[in-house]
Amino acid sequence: MRYLRLLSEIIPWRPSLAGKLNPSTEAFAALIAALLVIPQGITFAYLAGLPPEYGIYTAIFVTLFASLFGSSSMLGGPNTAVAILIGITVAPFAGRGSPLYIDYVILLSLMVGLIQLLIWLARGGKYFQYLSPAAITGITTGVGIILILSSLDGIMGLSPSSTLFFFEKLYFMAADWRTLINPHSLAIGATTVFVGMVAKTRFPRFAILIAMAAGYLVGLVVLGIYTQVETEVELLGHIPFQALPLSYPKLDLEYLLVGLAMLPNAITIALIGLAQSMVIVKSLRSDTDQAINVDKEVFAQGIANSLAAFFSSFAGSGSFNRTAVNLSLGASTPLAGILSAFAVFILIAIFGPLLSFMPMPVIAGTLMLVGIGMIKPSEIARLFSWTGELLVFVTTLFSIIFLGLQTGLIIAFILSVILFVLSASKLEINITKGEESVEIRVEGHLFYASIDQLSSLLKRHRYDSVLLDLSVVSYMDLSATEAIARDLQKRDSDETSFVIVLKSQRLLDHFEQRLEGMPVQFIQQNE
Amino acid sequence: MILLLGLFAGGHLNADTPIAVEDLLKRSYLDDYHSNVVFGYRIVTETERYGARYSGNRLRCTNCHLGAGRRPDAIPLNVAGMYPKWRSKNGRRNGIGLRIRECFVYSLDGIMPPEDSPEVLAVAAYISYISHGEMIGETPEGRGVPTLPDTGYDPNPANGKAIYDTKCGACHGVNGQGIPGIPPLWGMESYNKGAGMANTKKAAGFIWANMPLGQERSLSHQDALDVSAYINMQIRPGDPRSSKLLKLFESVSGLVD
Repeated sequence: MRYLRLLSEIIPWRPSLAGKLNPSTEAFAALIAALLVIPQGITFAYLAGLPPEYGIYTAIFVTLFASLFGSSSMLGGPNTAVAILIGITVAPFAGRGSPLYIDYVILLSLMVGLIQLLIWLARGGKYFQYLSPAAITGITTGVGIILILSSLDGIMGLSPSSTLFFFEKLYFMAADWRTLINPHSLAIGATTVFVGMVAKTRFPRFAILIAMAAGYLVGLVVLGIYTQVETEVELLGHIPFQALPLSYPKLDLEYLLVGLAMLPNAITIALIGLAQSMVIVKSLRSDTDQAINVDKEVFAQGIANSLAAFFSSFAGSGSFNRTAVNLSLGASTPLAGILSAFAVFILIAIFGPLLSFMPMPVIAGTLMLVGIGMIKPSEIARLFSWTGELLVFVTTLFSIIFLGLQTGLIIAFILSVILFVLSASKLEINITKGEESVEIRVEGHLFYASIDQLSSLLKRHRYDSVLLDLSVVSYMDLSATEAIARDLQKRDSDETSFVIVLKSQRLLDHFEQRLEGMPVQFIQQNE
Repeated sequence: MILLLGLFAGGHLNADTPIAVEDLLKRSYLDDYHSNVVFGYRIVTETERYGARYSGNRLRCTNCHLGAGRRPDAIPLNVAGMYPKWRSKNGRRNGIGLRIRECFVYSLDGIMPPEDSPEVLAVAAYISYISHGEMIGETPEGRGVPTLPDTGYDPNPANGKAIYDTKCGACHGVNGQGIPGIPPLWGMESYNKGAGMANTKKAAGFIWANMPLGQERSLSHQDALDVSAYINMQIRPGDPRSSKLLKLFESVSGLVD
């Protein structure tokens, strides 16, 4: 039965699964998604330290497989946080963009995919609900700030001397701006960012495309007046595009040793990729009536990233911004994602050569725009209403900026779980004192973390008769019954009485079995 | 296994000559340094594939730097010890990185890669690797191309055409278009007017010392000069430093068709 369910999640999506399918709507959404993903693929490849064609391949193949094996209109493919993490992970082992580096990225993608498939086998999709919205806001804001900082390199025409992002960069840039900043690059990059910001107020969906077009034109003007030899404006270069860029992960001992060293980061990437996808899936499930299967989506992400290793692609995840545009254009099935992969293919085959003269400051400018877009003041403002969430947000944000993205992500996960446990272990206890007895009414979950609150209360009322009302407690573990049993043993059973009020038969059986022969009475309250 | 490999590599370190690049190619795993050297070798020998991002024509580095930059008198690449040095071409002190980047702009008629691009770093690693054994600061044997003695006559392109058609055209094509494996000598798929080869005297030295392949040094100095003049008279991409807008149009229109 269980294997049957696993098997049913492996089967690719087919049109018959969609109740009502509107191919022309899906096709239009796919075209727009393809237009949006091309610049993102190139930019994120740059973030991951790879040549641009790898971003295009990721936009084609990871998107295709994630949609083919998925169940929703979520668009997968290149993703900001995942790309940054890939860059940070592989940089210590090989020079950015070198063949060895690419081998390691491909190995890392396979590892990420396999870890995600393991999570799928362990039915892990549901655990991503523990990632609190505050931590997610903290992560996106932190990634946004990292993007803005890293985009400065390209906009100012500095060479990206390191893949690590530090605030020192701002200091030395300010101190030595006369020699460091390339005015031509700055003109192109600043135009891109400015046009993007203006366009965002009027055509929010296509702001990045408009910004890129403007930056490209300014770049052509600059290159028409001066030459690349004089200005040293970095250009994207030709994209050697292959229709079927087959690759395979090398599994020699030496590669596996590096793989082992990359494992902790591979786990982080797998988790952050799934976390983002699951957040998107969750919101799609609550906002639309798509037939979404969360576990199938986990499988889709895992298989897409595993297969990425065989198609010259790097690991990706669900994309917030592209899914949002997709949804607003009416796409409601994986068909949009599948078609968008083909649309990217056709667009690159036709217009790819034009991208050769795309100045890199434009790419950096779009990075900054993406970064600015990730910082949402309204979401941050909402967090100020609750201290716990605010604390998680602030800690996540600061650890991402000052301790690095991986550390920040791990802290975000841990804090979310702590926040969840803290709120879950909080007992609501009402005490009504009668003439001779005390009525204690408990709300919440009775388990090892919360039982202390109850047992200290019982200790205080050891010489009173107690009516313990557990009728609204839905969950109880072994340590809870043991604590009550311990208290019962110390009680003077002749003078006082101990009554437990319960609702469910299951808990009643549980108690009767554990408290066999103890001076306790049970009252089953009927619904 | 690692220990064994370390011993293996260590044994080689003590030897006088480094491992030949061809032997590196056969290994299944290379560390970062050696894989970069191999990447550089591949860019030099298969530029259209491994250096595709920044090259703009059908030439390979090894078309002029014969034998993957290891043949004397054919602009050998064992010059790591000569850089940084001042060059009149740009009036700056050039590191090896800038020198490589200029090859992409002029000889390969492409886009100038950034100083820290993987391609430039790899070719720089390859150049250092094959410079093993040269004295730092000393001119290596057979550097560049031989300077031909003054023949006392101006170059004569008409004679050059006659020699080209009989001795060069069979491989390079009557219209200089080349064939697979043999580089085009002019046209939009060849080097541009800013390249070193566009200098008639330099090209003549190269032709005299290296062409026709297998019958090197068979042409007279005057014949080499005439052929060189004929080749460099033909149509080819403009110098990126002088014809800015035209260059841009050239590049963009070349991309579309």
